Amino acid sequence: MSSAPIAAGGKGSPGARSETGFDPELYRRFPTKEERPEGELAELERVWQAPRGWRLLTAVNNNYIGTFYVGAAFLFFLLAGILALVMRVQLALPLQGVLPQETYNQFFTMHGTVMMFLFAVPAVEALGVLLLPQMLAARDLPFPRLSAYAFWAYLVGGLCFFASLFFGLAPNGGWFMYPPLTSTAFSPGINADFWLLGIGFIEISAIAGAIEIIVGVLKTRAPGMTLARMPIFAWAMLVFAGMIIIAFPAVIFGTLALELERALNWPFFDPTRGGDPLLWQHLFWFFGHPEVYIIFLPAAGLVSMMVSSLAKTPLVGYRLIVLALVATGFISFGVWAHHMFAVGMPRLSIGFFSAASMAVSVPAGIQVFSWIATLSTGKPSHNVPTLFVVGGLVIFVMGGLTGVMVAMVPFDWQAHDSYFIVAHLHYVLIGGMVFPLFATFYFWAPMMSRRPLSERLGKWVFWLMFAGMHLTFLPMHLTGLMGMPRRVWTYLPERDWEITNLLSTAGAFVLGAGILLFLVDIARNFRFTTGDTAGNVYGGGTLEWLPNGLYAARSIPVVTSRDPLWDQPGISEDVEEGRYFLPGTATGHRETLITSPLNAEPQFLQIMPGPSVWPLFSAIFTAGFFLLLTVQAYTIGVVSGVLAILCVLRWLWETDRVVEPARVDIGAGIQVPTYVTGGSTHGWWAMVVLLIVILMIFLMALFSYLYLYGIHGRVWVSPPATFWLAPVLAGYGGATGLALLARRLLARETSTLWSPATNLIFAAGTLALGWAVDLHSWRASGLSPESSGQGATVYGLVAHQGMVVFVALLYAVYIAARNSRGLVSRPRNTSFDLATMFIAYCGVQGSVGALVVRLFPGVV
Amino acid sequence: MPATLLLLAACKPPPEGRHPMAGADAAAGRAVVERVGCGSCHAFPDIAWPRGAVGPDLSRFASQTMIAGRVPNRPDLLAAFVRNAPAVVPGSAMPAMPIDEAEARDVAAYLYTLGAE
Amino acid sequence: MTVAVEGLSGWPPPVLDPAGPYAGSVTALTWVLIGMAVAVLLIVLAALYIALFGKGELRRRLGGEKVIWILGIAFPTVVLTGLLVWGLTLTRHLSAPAAEGTALKMRVSGEMWWWRVDYLDEAGSTLMADANELHIPVGRTVEIELVSPDVVHSFWVPQLSGKLDMVPGRRNLIRIQADRPGTYAGQCAEYCGGPHALMGFMVIAHEPAEWARWLARRRAPPAAPTDAQAQRGGQLFLAAGCGACHRIAGTPANGLAGPDLTYVGARRTLGAGILPNHRGTMMGWIGDSQAIKPGNRMPPYRVLSAEQLEAIAVYLEGRR
Repeated sequence: MSSAPIAAGGKGSPGARSETGFDPELYRRFPTKEERPEGELAELERVWQAPRGWRLLTAVNNNYIGTFYVGAAFLFFLLAGILALVMRVQLALPLQGVLPQETYNQFFTMHGTVMMFLFAVPAVEALGVLLLPQMLAARDLPFPRLSAYAFWAYLVGGLCFFASLFFGLAPNGGWFMYPPLTSTAFSPGINADFWLLGIGFIEISAIAGAIEIIVGVLKTRAPGMTLARMPIFAWAMLVFAGMIIIAFPAVIFGTLALELERALNWPFFDPTRGGDPLLWQHLFWFFGHPEVYIIFLPAAGLVSMMVSSLAKTPLVGYRLIVLALVATGFISFGVWAHHMFAVGMPRLSIGFFSAASMAVSVPAGIQVFSWIATLSTGKPSHNVPTLFVVGGLVIFVMGGLTGVMVAMVPFDWQAHDSYFIVAHLHYVLIGGMVFPLFATFYFWAPMMSRRPLSERLGKWVFWLMFAGMHLTFLPMHLTGLMGMPRRVWTYLPERDWEITNLLSTAGAFVLGAGILLFLVDIARNFRFTTGDTAGNVYGGGTLEWLPNGLYAARSIPVVTSRDPLWDQPGISEDVEEGRYFLPGTATGHRETLITSPLNAEPQFLQIMPGPSVWPLFSAIFTAGFFLLLTVQAYTIGVVSGVLAILCVLRWLWETDRVVEPARVDIGAGIQVPTYVTGGSTHGWWAMVVLLIVILMIFLMALFSYLYLYGIHGRVWVSPPATFWLAPVLAGYGGATGLALLARRLLARETSTLWSPATNLIFAAGTLALGWAVDLHSWRASGLSPESSGQGATVYGLVAHQGMVVFVALLYAVYIAARNSRGLVSRPRNTSFDLATMFIAYCGVQGSVGALVVRLFPGVV
Repeated sequence: MPATLLLLAACKPPPEGRHPMAGADAAAGRAVVERVGCGSCHAFPDIAWPRGAVGPDLSRFASQTMIAGRVPNRPDLLAAFVRNAPAVVPGSAMPAMPIDEAEARDVAAYLYTLGAE
Repeated sequence: MTVAVEGLSGWPPPVLDPAGPYAGSVTALTWVLIGMAVAVLLIVLAALYIALFGKGELRRRLGGEKVIWILGIAFPTVVLTGLLVWGLTLTRHLSAPAAEGTALKMRVSGEMWWWRVDYLDEAGSTLMADANELHIPVGRTVEIELVSPDVVHSFWVPQLSGKLDMVPGRRNLIRIQADRPGTYAGQCAEYCGGPHALMGFMVIAHEPAEWARWLARRRAPPAAPTDAQAQRGGQLFLAAGCGACHRIAGTPANGLAGPDLTYVGARRTLGAGILPNHRGTMMGWIGDSQAIKPGNRMPPYRVLSAEQLEAIAVYLEGRR
């Protein structure tokens, strides 16, 4: 097999310049020649051994969590699909009585919500958890317990959310939940709260997943795997995770605001009290449209990888594809308002969003033609993954073309909220995500199953799904042009909508039959294993096809190419024989190699946590907290919340330990430390990502404040007198200062009485004091949160600050507790570092927030 | 009136083939029933919407011996009744309907398919 | 007599069968867009076919980065730029206000789950109130203020114009025009809860002279009923408290929560475009509208006897 020209570094030489001071010449020591010591492999296997029996619930390894995760996401796909089938029966003919009006409204709301939030996003995230470590030749993702927690919270929460349907308590306001329909005035039941709850879990697991993936991709790649040599899927997941941390905060703030409006009567969206229903639409779609690309990009990344493997040739236009992925990420944040062309926006905004919506199809075009070019270059195999890839491509192109149509504003005014859109979005999502997902199932199943899936059944699955998909959704374009609006539980006979609807219903069952057959294939052929897998059936060139165990590859290879298995002869044997990095366990713990973000130069050995019951308990109590609050069992709800926090702290307690020895040999005499602090650690990166999320939520709250001022500014009241700023800023600013001082003290101070940890508690206390004054001054000013949009957004900002202050206090106490047990290493300590970063950030955020809402619009 | 219906329902059902409607089309009748909105007042077993509650449930109409409890359930009388009820049963709560004679016969044919043994 | 008036039929598809300029220019655009989509799809399919099954030179030429630049970047950029310019020009044209003083002014308020219709004078005050039906003159632009007091609705008459939302707290302006007489179906296009599916309306376009006569007739409320049954119905209407929510001009009934019934007998439909309007359906609706349109705001009146229901229905039938 031929090699693609490599963008950076030049062929064969891993990294021309050093990023960290690591000497790339050292790579030449691999593969090593000497015999590996006796028992090394057995020790590695012992350390990574999975818990057995019911203790499997405590597993945190990505092979298990990833598989559970994919399975759970697929379960929700099936459940939401069943809802769709029942809805199609109801709509097959006019005035059917299969689903009464209210039930239908709950069904379509759940179908959309479950498909988008409980299937699509978790499914691609799950594929990330499952595939990324292997593709990067990392032992696991950097925070295995966080993955486990995110998965369990999602599964427990998702199932409870879905169960609301059986009690008639499922949300009925549509997956977009527009207020005022979803405000208490028009949705007094707890149905809408269930939606907000269900979304809460996904927000948690999506953010957790994004942190995991960003840090995983940037910090745990195999040595020598520069950014330009990353598998496209890793690029796609990096963009995916970046988009999540920018987009999800909008919906996090939106759902919090809607719940505050419902529970406490804060009028964010109530136009009679200075709120605005369109504020929700902006927040929702600022998240909601990138969401589509959040779903599509990882799937497109997988397609890029599969196309290359299936055509047995390097991907044509790798750099263009990376560019397209990144461009899509950026442009997708400029298109949200195309969901709102019909709300009566100013013409200028309409023009901007229309242009951006069309521009976003260029990166899609790049990918489509790059795949076609790759297929033309190589020798495409005619098998099931190829069928799904090509079929998905055709469907996606059709969806993209109707997408261009609706990006044309005048046409959108007709098509908007009609069945034309239903057709369009299903083409995009099924072609862009579902078919690639099935291709993925067929392509990667041999990586963790003893047997590959069946080619014979697979072809039936494909053709049934492909035909059923078109039969369902192609006629819907026409149904839409015939004037049928979306989200209707029935229609009148004289509208002539029967024929196309009947076709769609028939098609839905053909599609369903295909998926049923897929389940048969899974039942007959999928046999989960972590050892004796069916292996590289389709001849892929990337690292996940190295011989694999629970610990991923036996040793972590030096990567000099984008398709190492094709371009580095003998790599599989060398890896399996332990002739590369970390052929065993260096410290007797689970560990993985942390490398630098650009050139993937080895930096240190991360000690990884093993199986634990605490992430599971944390997840159950987190789910309990939200669920119990939703059903208005406040006391035990709060108890559950406290237990969740305690469980999280318990799980964290075991982490961030200094281990012996301080430096270890990771192969060929190369030594790296086992404990480091500062900017190269995975913890530091995770904290930075988390702070960006919190900052984005803060910015969304600030945006809401400014937006409502723009709409209803006339009725705004003056802020508290300016002198209040002095104590507020002193508190917030002081906290930042004290936190930074605490870190300096840690390096110097030896006294236990005036310990740095005490200083951190002071910092958090000062923060809380500043916040208390902040809150008090607003209350004294007479502005109440219920009174107006101004009140709601101001107190929204204060509440957000209150939340981070609470976490800061908790954090300080936690660090003090660690300190008292001698767990805070000196001169520097990662937990301590992260706490100071967090508290320092809180002070800055509080100051900025206080300045804006007190000085604008009053003084400025 | 509901009491009368109950009494009638207790009676022996009419023998089969008692309601010949020459040249009438029950399917067309059903379409007329949907179009005119008879469901605003009556529930029909095979029409899901609307299922009005103001007039009697017609699910077993073919088994009834009387129309509106006042006149025998005969094809000719039924066709006249569904078109202009007050003319057949003075004082009937059912108003005249905007349908022609042929449509009325179709409707009657349709009604005789409801609950026929 | 049926509800199946021509305007309700779905064939030919209303979006492709415009009846006025605001929908017509979009129809032209629609056809071009459909043509574009089909053409591009064919190009992609052809390329895909060559990539999978092709041989020789053609397939080889498809296999380089150049094809991405040409077909994946240059081609869409050119096509999309052209379309964008047209689209934005058309947007500008469609959202331009009608010349001062030429448009007929109306206000339609989307309410859960019916349409309040007001005919306005030049100054914007209400000339006449109606519900669920808009009567307009052929050939004249009608400028409609769209508002909502409760949740978001959307006003859509595909043969006359694209849709525009009714957002609580905001006032949107839509322009429609019919160039041929007829009945045009409209429907709420933004999900508004409960019986959103059953929230229709009609636009009836008359020849200008006929419309002027119609308007003149509507300047005065219909005459009080003369026959005994209708008179009794009128009394029952008031006694049953219907006037708390419904208005009938010239009577003490002056409720504003529900549709104005001054001309209810003249409407094509009942229940917001869902049932034919005749005595029978009116009785069923009043007696138990919840069985017909679940969740609507009108309570069932099971206390009324059949005779009473019929009397009210006869009375309302005469409000025309």
